[in-house]
Amino acid sequence: MRSDLAIKLAGHAVYGTDLDRPGMLWAALVPSPVAHGRLRSVDLAPARRLPGVVAIGPDDLAALLPGGGGDADRPIFPSGEVAYRNQPLAAVAAPTLAEARRAAALVRVDVEPLPALVDIETAFPSWPGAEAARSPHVIAHVHARHGDLGEAFRTADRVVEETYRTSSVHQVALEPHACVASFSNDRWHVETSTQSPFGVREDVASLFGVPEETIVVDGTWVGGGFGGKGASLLEPFALLLARAAGRPVRLALDYRQEFELGRTTLPAVIRLATAVKGGRIAGRRVRLLLDVGSSLPGRDFATGYSIGFLLGPYRTPAFEVEGYGVRTNKPPFGPHRAPFAPQCAFALESHLDEVARSVGLDPAAFRAEHLWREGDTTPFAQPVGPFGAEVALERARARAAEWRAAAPPDHGVGIGVGFWSTSTGAGGEARLELTPTELTIVQGEREIGSGSVLRGLVAVAERELGLPADRIRVDYRSTADAPFDSGVFGSRTVGALGRAIVEAAERLERTLAERLGDSGPVRLAVADGELVAVGPTLRRPVRELLTPEEGPKGLVASGRHFAKPNSIDEQRVVTGSFYPYTDFTASVHVAEVAVDRETGAVRVEKYAAFQDIGVVVDRATARAQVEGGVAMGLGIALTEEAVWSDDGRLVNAHLLDYRIPTLGEVPVPEVTFVEGFPGAGPFGAKGLGEPPIIPVPATIAAAVRDAAGAHVTELPLSAERVARALKLL
Amino acid sequence: MSRFELVTPRSVDEAIASLRATDGTPPAVLAGGTDLLLDIDDGRAAPSRVVSLRRLPWRTLDWADGALTVGSTLPLRSLEDDPDVRRRLPGLWQAVHAVGSVALRHRATLGGNLGRSAPASDLVPMLLALDAEVDLVGPDGERRVTVDGFVRASRRTGLGPGELIRSVRIPESRPSAYLWQRVRPANDISQIAVAVAFSPSRRAWSVAAGGMPPRPVLLREVARALGSGQPEDSALGAAADRASREIAISADQRASEEYRRRLVGTLVRRAVRSVAIGAGVGG
Amino acid sequence: MTDDAGGVRVNGRAFPLEGMPDDERLLDTLRWRLALKGTKEGCRTGDCGACTVLVDGRSTLSCLTLTREVEGQEVTTIDDAATDPDLGRVRAAFTAAGALQCGYCTPGFVLALAGLLKERGRAAPVEELLDGLQGNLCRCTGYAAIVRAVELAREASP
Repeated sequence: MRSDLAIKLAGHAVYGTDLDRPGMLWAALVPSPVAHGRLRSVDLAPARRLPGVVAIGPDDLAALLPGGGGDADRPIFPSGEVAYRNQPLAAVAAPTLAEARRAAALVRVDVEPLPALVDIETAFPSWPGAEAARSPHVIAHVHARHGDLGEAFRTADRVVEETYRTSSVHQVALEPHACVASFSNDRWHVETSTQSPFGVREDVASLFGVPEETIVVDGTWVGGGFGGKGASLLEPFALLLARAAGRPVRLALDYRQEFELGRTTLPAVIRLATAVKGGRIAGRRVRLLLDVGSSLPGRDFATGYSIGFLLGPYRTPAFEVEGYGVRTNKPPFGPHRAPFAPQCAFALESHLDEVARSVGLDPAAFRAEHLWREGDTTPFAQPVGPFGAEVALERARARAAEWRAAAPPDHGVGIGVGFWSTSTGAGGEARLELTPTELTIVQGEREIGSGSVLRGLVAVAERELGLPADRIRVDYRSTADAPFDSGVFGSRTVGALGRAIVEAAERLERTLAERLGDSGPVRLAVADGELVAVGPTLRRPVRELLTPEEGPKGLVASGRHFAKPNSIDEQRVVTGSFYPYTDFTASVHVAEVAVDRETGAVRVEKYAAFQDIGVVVDRATARAQVEGGVAMGLGIALTEEAVWSDDGRLVNAHLLDYRIPTLGEVPVPEVTFVEGFPGAGPFGAKGLGEPPIIPVPATIAAAVRDAAGAHVTELPLSAERVARALKLL
Repeated sequence: MSRFELVTPRSVDEAIASLRATDGTPPAVLAGGTDLLLDIDDGRAAPSRVVSLRRLPWRTLDWADGALTVGSTLPLRSLEDDPDVRRRLPGLWQAVHAVGSVALRHRATLGGNLGRSAPASDLVPMLLALDAEVDLVGPDGERRVTVDGFVRASRRTGLGPGELIRSVRIPESRPSAYLWQRVRPANDISQIAVAVAFSPSRRAWSVAAGGMPPRPVLLREVARALGSGQPEDSALGAAADRASREIAISADQRASEEYRRRLVGTLVRRAVRSVAIGAGVGG
Repeated sequence: MTDDAGGVRVNGRAFPLEGMPDDERLLDTLRWRLALKGTKEGCRTGDCGACTVLVDGRSTLSCLTLTREVEGQEVTTIDDAATDPDLGRVRAAFTAAGALQCGYCTPGFVLALAGLLKERGRAAPVEELLDGLQGNLCRCTGYAAIVRAVELAREASP
């Protein structure tokens, strides 16, 4: 049982939104009224006239940040151009939230509106040609090729060319962003709901132009992250207000602002052309037009990273891929769960189904023919590691056949394949502290909900040292006291931090073995209520093996894991960044849907997930990740779509019209784990936070096509879109 | 520092008196609050006084001579929990069950729903098909109007100055059905909805459609085309087609005009079929 | 100001509300005035159910309820489930089924389910209980473990 269940069920877990500190002021942001404009002035004086109000704008930063502020490319408050609607132009704090909002509304903003670019296809009404890379709207451009694609197209039996469109989706963590900041003794201190305390520290340090050591980030319990809480968002404003006010400041978003200011997956247009010869893929051309919002954070992880998913885990002898990141007047593109991969899988899988059908082949058999096996090479010449796709697909096909045989006439069954590679982030460190009665894991990640910390890391320690889980405690510390870790994202916790724990455990074990003086390795056990070191012939209580100098912390051992990234064949790259893979994780899903032929409404009746996992570290935690990922994927597949007006306003910025799945819409999925194809994590585990979401929209689209013959090339598969594909409209 | 003064009158007369405007802005009426409080948060309403109906004796549900009278401040969940409502007015039960969520229905009221007069109200189309009437009480006494006459457009009704909705009267039990098309099975707003009912006393159908601006409407021609009993398939099909043509459809962010037009016929057909089957209505 | 000096009763205790503004929401009274942070703030528009509490045993969206409107009534929150047997059963079921991950939606679900069980108990088919929970959103679990918890809680109910 996870150790956080009791505190959460008692209502005692303190999340970012629950923070309350003595003397705390409440903050509000001053939003830009237009999506694009030339900022003439921001007059804070009317707000400052209200009692107890503190206000900060661009002109106040020099006084608050002696260094002057760090990053010219990412100003804290814009002073020239406004890049998206609701972009924070200033911030105020007051004794109550109502007063803060009143003060923010009084700030006089003078901005000259400029035309806003909201729809990427408006910028490129015809497909971008060679001149596109020079367009001022394009802020990322990636291009790579390999093999003779021209020849492949010329000699093909068939070329299938299609265009897919995918929508913007939000993370929709139920807890909005929230933090409380303070400043004293030249130290910046912020308590915040975040996936990455060290990431926030790094962000703020670079934005402020101050050393990281002057910032302390203390993470709270997190009410969902899903990529939306991986970087700083509110912390810089709260910290600056706290310094200006000399009091703690709370800044939280209301749910409308969660949508309006959220950094997430944005719309895309994907064109795929595949040449087939002799029933095999001969080559593919990919063109990706990706809305990246008003700016790209640091390096472009969006376009180059996505392209790999549009070639997919399939042997493709020749290819040419080109992606354009188009700047629009929306908040910057940000990471969602498996960022943009579900959308890519939807396009690629639907396309492969179409390709197979065009040459009279069964779509699932077509995939089986092309799926990577260990030893194949990726498009960028990396060797494919252990990959459970083939086995997962085989099992999925068997399940699909069973369901098809029993399905009523208005039902259809479809299969979808997803591929993922665990991220490593920069890396992480962990410390183990062994006392006579328990082992403590000291580390810098918060448990954000998935169990990767409270169960995953504990399970690693259990296996390494032999201790039962109830003798292992996880201790989170703030960035002031914790060992460094990049944070919870990219499905990396067990893989990266888990390996740091393995290293620490090995060191601990070696020290114990030396002190025990036995002939071989040592494990830990429990006897008479305390911990015992057990060797091949000797055993002694840990109590007797500790030195007085070690004190109450006991025996301490550290470990770290900072992975060197693999490399890709740069010769295949014309321009831009592409990303090497760390390991190879497959998710193959089956869905049975009912399609109402008169309304286009889709109901998901049954769902099965076959998940390549390496090794199951904790079964309940792993199953929960698949169940949650499937539900989130169903939202992307069927109901989730952020809609913007022509003037850059998010039209459905609330949970009534931005619909995430409810209990009545998600069947309980059947979950099967495929073990035996080890990944990069401890004991061969593969990260599981993201893989289960990836094939879901593809699987639903395949099932809808099987049910009703409707080939929908847009996400989400709303009833109206399905109705159009059925020619009802 | 409250945005408004809350008064909670103990009698109907006191309530009517409280509705006299204090500073030029008319006071707002608070029943369940599930619409009013959202409007206040959004800035769509900024009353300086809010009159709560909590203490008035209007949380009632009475059957008399086959007619049902529902007090305007009865929570919808109480209506939903009543087995007689489910049996005698199945369409009304379906419509109530479609509103929001259980927790919402513990506070939301029939009176509040009618007063808000939302184009996508689930209750108004069904009340239209049931020939329901609204009992109003105000400074000039009481009066009764049809729901059809009462509902005008979004947030606009026939409520006069100082008037309150006291109750809603449904004249007779009718086999009925409420069908909607929306994204989710629950906790959602309809894109388009159809309410049908068959009056045993008049041997006639009534059909209403809702879900889009300006307001839910009776489809009188469609109802006439259904005849005086269980319609034959051809008559039903003709009536359904007529619905697509008769109704004034508009687009909004929830659905296009085309889609709604396509759906209304389907929903009429399905709703009428479900009523005929359930009630054993003869030809 | 109202003429009622009743205050509000939460988890069996009375809390006077002198000086409380008329427009204060029950959600904010619980969380900020009474420091009972167990009830969570989600959407504040009645769409997510995170703020669900019980008022006289009936589930209620505290974000859309004026505190003055529930004076004299019994409010039940997650913060002290020790005395309420239905809450205790639901908590035990959620624990046994591992029916939470981040835990933010959990207080709302626990109260919503407890309210349904109070109304119907074991007499309600599972489908009816599940139907009654569609006003509570969860983003982490996919609802699968919550469905298992509902089954367990119903089994344990009278």
